[in-house]
Amino acid sequence: MDHSTNKSRTTRGRYLALLTVLALAAVLATPLFVGVYSASLIRDALLFALLALALDFLWGKTGVLSFGHAAFFGAGAYGAAIISTRFGLDPALGSWAGLLAGILISATIALIVGYFLIFGGVRDSYFTIVTLALAVIADHVVTGWSSVTGGDAGILGIPPLHFPSSDGWAALSPLALYWFIAGIVSVVGFSVWWACRGRYGAVLKSIEDNEQRSQALGHNTSLHLLIVFVLSASIAALGGGLYASTVGFVAKDTIGLLLSTQAIIWVAIGGRGTLIGPVLATILVIWLEQEITSIDTKFWPLAMGGLFILAVFAFPDGILKTLERLFNRLRSSAEPKEAKGND
Amino acid sequence: MDIFFTVTLNAMTLISILMLVGLGLGIIYGLMGVINLSHGEFVTIGAFSLAFVQAMGGSFWLALLIAPIIGGLVGLLIEQSIIRHLYTRPLATIMATWGLSLIIQQMLQLIFGASPQKVFSPISATVSIFGANYPVYRLVLISLAISLMVSCYLLMKKTRFGLDLRTVIQNPDMADALGINTKRVYAIAFSLGAAFAAIAGVLIAPLTAVVAHMGVNYLARSFFVVIVGGAGSVPGVVAGSTFVGGIETLLNYAIPATLSQALVLVFAIVLVRMKPTGLVER
Repeated sequence: MDHSTNKSRTTRGRYLALLTVLALAAVLATPLFVGVYSASLIRDALLFALLALALDFLWGKTGVLSFGHAAFFGAGAYGAAIISTRFGLDPALGSWAGLLAGILISATIALIVGYFLIFGGVRDSYFTIVTLALAVIADHVVTGWSSVTGGDAGILGIPPLHFPSSDGWAALSPLALYWFIAGIVSVVGFSVWWACRGRYGAVLKSIEDNEQRSQALGHNTSLHLLIVFVLSASIAALGGGLYASTVGFVAKDTIGLLLSTQAIIWVAIGGRGTLIGPVLATILVIWLEQEITSIDTKFWPLAMGGLFILAVFAFPDGILKTLERLFNRLRSSAEPKEAKGND
Repeated sequence: MDIFFTVTLNAMTLISILMLVGLGLGIIYGLMGVINLSHGEFVTIGAFSLAFVQAMGGSFWLALLIAPIIGGLVGLLIEQSIIRHLYTRPLATIMATWGLSLIIQQMLQLIFGASPQKVFSPISATVSIFGANYPVYRLVLISLAISLMVSCYLLMKKTRFGLDLRTVIQNPDMADALGINTKRVYAIAFSLGAAFAAIAGVLIAPLTAVVAHMGVNYLARSFFVVIVGGAGSVPGVVAGSTFVGGIETLLNYAIPATLSQALVLVFAIVLVRMKPTGLVER
């Protein structure tokens, strides 16, 4: 590591920290300025942002791309929906039991699938394709097992999360719920950032760069990858479970290939590995989707496909890094140019 | 006894279809290493070509000739405009081809509408095989698939192009140094893979609902055909499609189709764990 790289890394860290603080302030203040509808749109986008965060934890930090992350989000959502509606539980208890069960189901699936794949030496494109099948399997199971999952109709009447209040357990007010969700996303995002900094982050980075070399240095790379995979699946499930209890119903769009690919766009457009980038991109893309589908629903798949291709060619490292490069160029326009490698 | 033959023939129909879709993917993914998530859409393009040709008054057999030309040309266009720039960036290829797949699906739906397209089977007769009545069309499908597999095998092993392709796959730089036009070989191989998928699409069309999203149904299965069988060989594709198609047909007799497809993929994941290089070693 020479001096210049260290310097650019600190600048980068400062840039991301500044952006995070600004974004957090903006998100927290939003419901005070916009209408109920826009606030609920951002609230739902924040829950999908948990899926993007989960995927960025895995893909951005270890380089392993999962095409099946919606399966974990969906398992969280369907887990929460099934437990809280099908067992005659009290809504206050059911809402929490469902959330917890959804996360446990997801983590268990990730543990089993991850063990098979990661310890079986399945990597790179093979891993991506197998996880793609995971999303397809989840989709088929939801359609085929309609007595439990409600099939194409989905499940209605999922109770909202209940909190202790002056008159027993009650659901939160819309504004309080918004802040609760924004709080959860911040805590999860901060925890992932905190876990991935310093030595542990360096270990994950070494796996991403060259797994064999990392192994030769004595790291149990398979175990590291499995842990990240399971944690990432649990975060996705947390997002799914909260989504189910917040909107009150689940349908097939919370599971399966299309949501998986959307999560990949969010991360790719936001900037892989930046954590805050995918969260912002999720909100931005969902808002864009809303705008475009309000013109005509037929245009959205075209726009989304176009975004994918545009992201590949126009900003291969994500919008955030493109902006950052501009930002750096403005700052250091007086200084001599440094050779910069691709990351 | 007749049930045994019906099951076998049903399995062979599905295996043939998967073989053709997998063959195209075997060329594009198995040999070139390009994760082409728009492969399913080439199947769809084939099926829509049949619907279009028949709507214009053409016959099934005409469509069988036209579809691979359309599929191959679209494949060539995509390779030249997008894939060509991404051979060194596998993850970018995944994203770009998925974007393409969404665009192709939506364009087809915008042009042809959302309701299933009308297609007609060229042969409606049934034939009695060991006491079981069986549609002749399926037998034609099976024999066409087998002859296409054989021709592809011969193309790979006996022709100059096959030799060039195998050379490029083993070592692109060396092949380039030896004077093989690697870019041209890649372009032809991609377009050939797309053409095979389009033929599969024509053959599938009379047996299924022809809608813009039909390709997705074959995407994961065909990747598994290639991975389970062993990437990059014609025998591998045969082995892979026999595994996936065979188990799925058998399971279909016991559980709903969607669950059996899911279960097959689960089996495939377990198999990939045990034999990461596939059933047939290259």
